[in-house]
Amino acid sequence: MTTRSSAAGYWIGFGVVLALLAVAPLVLPEFWRRFVTEILVWGLLAMSSDILIGYTGMVSFGHSAFFGLGMYGAAAALLTVRPPNLWLAIVYGLVGAGLVAVFVAYFSTRLRDIYFAITTLVFSQIFYVIIFTWTEVTGGENGLTFRQPPFAIPGLVSVPFTPVTLHWFILGVVVVSYVVLRRIMQSPFGKVLQAIRENEPRTRAIGYHVERYKIVAVMLSGLFAGLAGVLYAVQNKFTAPDFVFFLISGEVVIFNVMGGMGTLVGPVAGAAFFLVLREGLSRFWTEYYLIPVGLIFTAMVIFMPQGLLGFLKRRLNQ
Amino acid sequence: MAIPFDQILIQTVNGLVNGMILALVASGLTLIFGIMDIVNFAHGELVMLGGFTGATALAVTGSFWLALVAAVLTIALLGALLQATALRPLVGRDPLTTILATFGISLVLQKYALWQWGPSARKLQEPITGQFNLFYLEYPWYRVLTALLAAGIIGALYLFLRYGKYGIWIRAATQDRIMAQAMGIPVPLVHAVVFGIGASMAAASGVLFGPLGGVTQTMGADFTLRAFIVVVVGGMGNLGGSILASILISLIEAYASLVVSPAQAVIASFVVLILTQLFRPTGLFVPTPK
Amino acid sequence: MLALENVHTYYGKSHILHGVSIEVGPGEVVGLLGRNGVGKSTTLKTIMGLVRPSGGSVRFEGRDIAGMAPHRPAHLGIAYVPEERRIFRLLSVLENLRTGLDRPGVSESRKNELLENAYEHFPVLRDRRNQAGGTLSGGEQQMLAIARAMMLDPKIILLDEPTEGLMPRMVSQIREIIHVLHRGGVAILLVEQNVPLTLEVSSRVYIMEKGVVRHHGPTADLRANQAVIHQYLGV
Ligand SMILES: Nc1ncnc2c1ncn2[C@@H]1O[C@H](COP(=O)(O)OP(=O)(O)OP(=O)(O)O)[C@@H](O)[C@H]1O
Ligand SMILES: [Mg+2]
Repeated sequence: MTTRSSAAGYWIGFGVVLALLAVAPLVLPEFWRRFVTEILVWGLLAMSSDILIGYTGMVSFGHSAFFGLGMYGAAAALLTVRPPNLWLAIVYGLVGAGLVAVFVAYFSTRLRDIYFAITTLVFSQIFYVIIFTWTEVTGGENGLTFRQPPFAIPGLVSVPFTPVTLHWFILGVVVVSYVVLRRIMQSPFGKVLQAIRENEPRTRAIGYHVERYKIVAVMLSGLFAGLAGVLYAVQNKFTAPDFVFFLISGEVVIFNVMGGMGTLVGPVAGAAFFLVLREGLSRFWTEYYLIPVGLIFTAMVIFMPQGLLGFLKRRLNQ
Repeated sequence: MAIPFDQILIQTVNGLVNGMILALVASGLTLIFGIMDIVNFAHGELVMLGGFTGATALAVTGSFWLALVAAVLTIALLGALLQATALRPLVGRDPLTTILATFGISLVLQKYALWQWGPSARKLQEPITGQFNLFYLEYPWYRVLTALLAAGIIGALYLFLRYGKYGIWIRAATQDRIMAQAMGIPVPLVHAVVFGIGASMAAASGVLFGPLGGVTQTMGADFTLRAFIVVVVGGMGNLGGSILASILISLIEAYASLVVSPAQAVIASFVVLILTQLFRPTGLFVPTPK
Repeated sequence: MLALENVHTYYGKSHILHGVSIEVGPGEVVGLLGRNGVGKSTTLKTIMGLVRPSGGSVRFEGRDIAGMAPHRPAHLGIAYVPEERRIFRLLSVLENLRTGLDRPGVSESRKNELLENAYEHFPVLRDRRNQAGGTLSGGEQQMLAIARAMMLDPKIILLDEPTEGLMPRMVSQIREIIHVLHRGGVAILLVEQNVPLTLEVSSRVYIMEKGVVRHHGPTADLRANQAVIHQYLGV
């Protein structure tokens, strides 16, 4: 009885948030419209890393590599193929992120805990250095700029994006990703990932092939992070090595911790919270906004490890 | 592509000097990890803060050596305070949690430095300006002195740990925190002191590095990353291993920069880390546990 | 001297001690018996402040020690020899002993006296004083753990299964040292599976079952009442 009513409550909440996000670009001024669209993209990236951090218990400090390779993959498609094609950008981006994911997946099966965290960090730095120094191909420090592809369904329509339709498109992709990931995490596969997080040796002892599960988790996480990269590239029409730099990975981890790991929506909320904080604080503090944000983050790691969402949930249940 | 022999020798000296500075950073990191399972992501920021504090003290006092002492003491105090306030609740928790918390702290420290000292680099004036001939190069004595000083500080740390009551306390608390407490050792105090020692070693490398590479508010991440690599390659919590790994990594980077740009030479050390992880996950310099 | 009153202890959510009350007088040897997993070791850890009791009181010489920092009981004169011995494996034998010696307020001559005293009772430790603790045999490690506790000059020693896994000759050495400590006026709270040894050396015995004390009385009564022993200990 209670589970049914809470499930109903969940879907009502989901519908309300979805409706608000859909209406947002119609009523918000230009600046905030962009802002909400960006939250969606970063939210997708945060969600993808939650598969590893929250569900499988592997902290990736290298998610910027997936995201960045997604961006550069999209850039490759948009710069080399005429006319620019949205779907091809997505395919290229996913291939780029997928290649990194294969590498990281290979290591994920051998390394645990901090070793995995440090190695993913180092991996993303390798890609950063390559992209930063390989100027002929990647544009080096300045990155690459390109045109935005139109929204096209071959043989049917091909219309350029307006900010509003782009927002809807991104919203669609993020929502579909969320629903898919939620299904996966609630499936037996997702349960095994959580079992690995709780107790890896026991999960292995029961007879699960832990390595295979981890590989799939990393691939899944990498591909969705790459998808977020593609969306970001399409929205902003440029790419730069900064997006491969580990600070992005750090921000993704912050989103997860702030929002609440292992909930998928938590990290999206964390991304929103972080970006709003940054927006609000950087008006007065410029780049020093990271001082209060860093303090808040550290305090949350220590005193509120379940994140904002977990904290609110507990409060409401009391 | 033959590389002249003298260039290789020069790079060997460079690698050794850089390796000793890195060893100073990494031994603090590994000491802290060994005793309280804290993976200190903010360690490089302590190097950076040490460098800036030294620069300020140098401007005030005019003496490099006074500046070195001032920076070491200040950052030791800062480290002990950080441990006692922010990190104490994390002792004994999952090391991953400690990475996250210290990552937050690193953001705060870096932006604080930006606020306090601004975005531009400070170059410290070296205390001795003499040079000697190394093949076609005029090689500064200061670099050699740096390596010797770093070695001296690490040696002092070793003696401190090896002999005397506090060394025994630190090693006992490293091996078995609970039993150390049951024997009456004030472990929380030991933790704060060890964090202070690790921080002061980071600060010393920041000051020593000041005349070589300059001090900037963004230099911390680079030091953190290198120190991480060294500590993993040398074996987590293994002091001797970290020192050897520092030298190994720095030599490899120095040689690699003969053929590629220094920015790309970093990749060489990344590759060493990854190979170590694949073939000797417990570190290059530890016997694989039986 | 040491008095636990209605102590409740949890590990996370599992309730382990359900109101344990135990008393040990000055210089008294008291046995604590019970089957595996009834909470004997947890009782000792609670006394040492290594786990916090959620209710009840732990008093030592009239002072409440339950909420103290975990390194304080040692300074007050409570020494602990844990079940797993917990030798500092990479410290030498002498350094292991020194962890208990380097307290504030102990003179150099007193330190030497304590060391000599330990070496006298455990000559093997003198021979191996520069050897790493981890290289000692199981029995030698047990000797070291007891000697290390003696360095604290304690008023009471908490001994957790000191004879576990030892061969008979070593067991009699442990029996011997318990007598020595007793003669020296040190109180002992002895947790054991070895019932005959416990009945031999203790003056009173507590028997625990599932986190509570089920039986308590002078050893002489218990020796006469084999039924109780059989009921709670299955021997
Ligand atoms: N760290 C811990 N976390 C959770 N449960 C624990 C922990 N330590 C002990 N327990 C549980 O507490 C109960 C009591 O354990 P304790 O070690 O006190 O028993 P014991 O009487 O000393 O047994 P034994 O004779 O086997 O040493 C056991 O059920 C044990 O599983
Ligand atoms: Mg026990």
